[in-house]
Amino acid sequence: MASAADSLSVGIAYQIPRNSLMLLMVSQVVVVLPLIVHISPWIVAVCLICGYWRSGVYQGRWGYPSGLVKTLLVIGAVAGIAFSGYGSFSLEAATSLLVLAFALKLVEMKNRRDAYLVIYLCYFLIATAFLFDQSMALTAYEVLAAVVVTAAMVGMNQMQSRVRPLASLKIAAALIAQALPLTLVLFLFFPRVAPLWSIPMPSAATTGISDKITPGDVANLTQSDELAFRAVFDEAVPAQRDLYWRGLVYSEFRFGTWAVAEPLDALDPLDIEEASADSPERIGYEVFLEPTQSKWLFSLDTPVAYGGRIDLLGDYRLLNAEPVLSVLRYRLASDPNFTMDAELSDAIRARETELPPQDNPRLREYAQALYAQTGSAQAMVEAMLDEIRTGPYSYTLQPPVLPRLNSIDAFWFESRRGFCSHYAGTMVFALRAVGIPARMVGGYQGGEVNNVTGHVVVRQYQAHAWIEVWLPGQGWTRYDPTAAVAPARVENGLDAALSSEDRAVLSFLTSARFGGEGLLNSMLEFVDSLEHRWNLWVVGYDASTQSDLLSDLLGEVTPARVGMAILAGGGLCLVIVTLTLFLRRRPQPKHPAERLFQAFCNAMARQGHARGVDETPAAYIRRLARLAQLDAEPLVNRLQASLYDPEAASGGTDSRALRQDFRKLRFKLAFGTTGNAS
Amino acid sequence: METASHSAQKVGSRKTNTRFNAWLARRIPPGQRITLSQSNIFIFPTRSGFTFGGLLAILILGAINYQNSLVYGVAFLLGAVFTITILYTFRNLSGLSIELAEARSGFVGEDIEFAVRVERPKGKGREGIQIGWPEGFKQWVEISEDEAAVVDLYVNAERRGWLKPGRMLVETYFPLGILRAWTWVDINAKALVYPKPLFDEAATHASSKHRDDGVLIDPLGSDDFVDIRDYAAGDPIKNILWRSYARSDNLVVKRYASYVEPRLWFDFDEVPGDAEEKLSRLTGLALRATRSEREFGLRLPNRSISPGVGQVHLETVLRELALYGISG
Repeated sequence: MASAADSLSVGIAYQIPRNSLMLLMVSQVVVVLPLIVHISPWIVAVCLICGYWRSGVYQGRWGYPSGLVKTLLVIGAVAGIAFSGYGSFSLEAATSLLVLAFALKLVEMKNRRDAYLVIYLCYFLIATAFLFDQSMALTAYEVLAAVVVTAAMVGMNQMQSRVRPLASLKIAAALIAQALPLTLVLFLFFPRVAPLWSIPMPSAATTGISDKITPGDVANLTQSDELAFRAVFDEAVPAQRDLYWRGLVYSEFRFGTWAVAEPLDALDPLDIEEASADSPERIGYEVFLEPTQSKWLFSLDTPVAYGGRIDLLGDYRLLNAEPVLSVLRYRLASDPNFTMDAELSDAIRARETELPPQDNPRLREYAQALYAQTGSAQAMVEAMLDEIRTGPYSYTLQPPVLPRLNSIDAFWFESRRGFCSHYAGTMVFALRAVGIPARMVGGYQGGEVNNVTGHVVVRQYQAHAWIEVWLPGQGWTRYDPTAAVAPARVENGLDAALSSEDRAVLSFLTSARFGGEGLLNSMLEFVDSLEHRWNLWVVGYDASTQSDLLSDLLGEVTPARVGMAILAGGGLCLVIVTLTLFLRRRPQPKHPAERLFQAFCNAMARQGHARGVDETPAAYIRRLARLAQLDAEPLVNRLQASLYDPEAASGGTDSRALRQDFRKLRFKLAFGTTGNAS
Repeated sequence: METASHSAQKVGSRKTNTRFNAWLARRIPPGQRITLSQSNIFIFPTRSGFTFGGLLAILILGAINYQNSLVYGVAFLLGAVFTITILYTFRNLSGLSIELAEARSGFVGEDIEFAVRVERPKGKGREGIQIGWPEGFKQWVEISEDEAAVVDLYVNAERRGWLKPGRMLVETYFPLGILRAWTWVDINAKALVYPKPLFDEAATHASSKHRDDGVLIDPLGSDDFVDIRDYAAGDPIKNILWRSYARSDNLVVKRYASYVEPRLWFDFDEVPGDAEEKLSRLTGLALRATRSEREFGLRLPNRSISPGVGQVHLETVLRELALYGISG
């Protein structure tokens, strides 16, 4: 607790002004609101109870919690989080702890130091919200939240008895507004550095693709129109059927589930570069990947040039150095004609032909018979695709749930209804059963082109699975069984392949798709282009973008030049703020007559009849009246009465008459006479 | 602490560092009216300000480790707010003119009132300013619509003579409390402190010896004690000496008198006590004489004041008593 003794250095150790307290309670709500989806409901409930309790204290109905109650609350809160099922050092656990500490502190807050702690926690929570979401909308919201929190801080330093929350809010809003240009300068020029140490991560992958696929389990299908990433192509956007965004390679099949196996060693980027050196066709593009909380990245086949913090693993998937926690921007060049693994090593061959010893017996039999009949890997693949195309197989987003054991048999020989991973999984299993190296690949297929900026938008529902088969001489070759069962899915996008029932399940599709007609669609496109630019310039602004911008602006980038840029830009911002603060002169006439007279003088000055510096109001009116050939005295009398007689200041009828007189004089001068007064 | 008043708080004791004071005197010379500007306003972060800086550092670290542009943004916004607050805090004091409007005189032991006038330049109003002397309490100053505000400050008088509270603290934590702008100004404030009045009989006796001869005309209702006699019917009850009655069973009354020509001389040499006690007794006598509208004169070892009556005369006398033996 603050003592009065150190008041000289700390400030005034009084109780918290009520004005500020009210703003603090509003801040609590405003700051916690964006976080509630990331924390347990019981924590939200604790926040509400604490807020209610505090408002009771505020109104004098209840007291502060006693020491025992406080201790119990803290123990309960920590235990609650420990048993909430978050990972022990996950971001959610840390955030929950922070929110709880904040709510409890709010209740027991008594003096100024407590209040400052709560205010600083508010700022911290504002920053925390950005770890989960970096959208433009949230940013706008948090700027307003910062105004409210700052207003609480302003209220702490105003004369307690007088101030209303609105006055504090106005000062805080001005302060934040004036701080924004300087913020921009710092944002652009402050050096960005690589992470210093590892940090708690959000515990669960939020959306999209996972590193395990269980075709029997319908829940795996992502039914969301959330954004996966945006891509900007250097040249023309490739055709829909070529947009296979490779992300994950599922090499391991166990208990009905396809999983990403132990990562292979990274390939040497120089080897890759060299191997594709004389390729005629290279696609350059930049991806803005939304946070996945994972390290995998998406690329078109086959990435041959990529940035320094990215690895290309032995199965030709890209892996980032850190998990992607905020929008990640990376540049790639892909070579569609690149041969993946012309020669297959024994280790990889073993890895890509491995199957559990004895499940799905019917499919094994079927595969062996088919291979015996067709003779080659390529012919067997074609035969299976043909079977899918012509047989009684159908594409649906609502397949029946399959048994855990021998699920592939159940699908291939009985239900015969499924989506991409059902077909892909079956084919990989059949090929591996006869010793042909094959693997399932996961990623996205397709993308909508935004007509405003020309970038491609890929959403979660475009998640897709296909297969790669190793063919002698050709290396890993992509086949898409879904194209066989539902050609429209690959040619024209998911929407075209759907039955009406499926469409009902994915009702959001109609609202999320571009390319349609009408105002709604063009608005959606516009919003998407804004968000893209936001990602481009704000969220994705990192060390490499910064060095590009700096070398554009400064030529050679040296610490001295960057320092100068910060000083010059910041100095300019401060000069502007200083000018607005110190040069603002606002003479405020106190009563209506004075204001009317001021307005009249201004209007007359514009007409060329400025009032002399030493001219009294009466002399001025008499001069103008003489010019206008009017009788000045009634106006002079009225003006003097209302200017100098305190009684008249309150009279409303007087000022109306005054206004009429002024207007008459102005009119007469403007139109009744010719020539200038001087 | 929870019951601390809203408007007042001890400024705290100023360090009596003579070198610092000498430097301050050169830096901000005393004057009747002192206008605050960059040459005499100091500015430094408060403890809350340093904590704010710590928060910024944590946010920057978080932004680096999470590679999150918007966490950088929050840190930069707060950094910019901190920087701009320097201007706000400075501007809140800059241009203020401080002068003494009025200083009331008083007696030793009383709180002496100084009315200090704080005038702001044109433009926006000022708020959240506190002024006060180290020996007194701080007061809030707010000048929003008017050009100036007058603030009453009180300083306890411990000695007679001139009370010079010296350098006054003017400070503000506005708008965020993370920075403190302050200055110590000397506006030459001084107030005259009279000796603490002593009303006792010893002084009365001493003074009555020097009464000029005159005729007793009114034995009742006047202030000057003459002697004691037995109670007679019709004597006012308030004159009965009850203490003597308790001892002797005789009712006695004190007699008071007024004179046709009640010219009194209060003489430093005649009143008992040491010098300060003498001055206190003389003060008491002068006050009592003025209250009963009696003409009186004062004799001090170095000068005398001829008899007079009324408030102005009293002030002349009190001033002599206050400054007796004090130069200036």
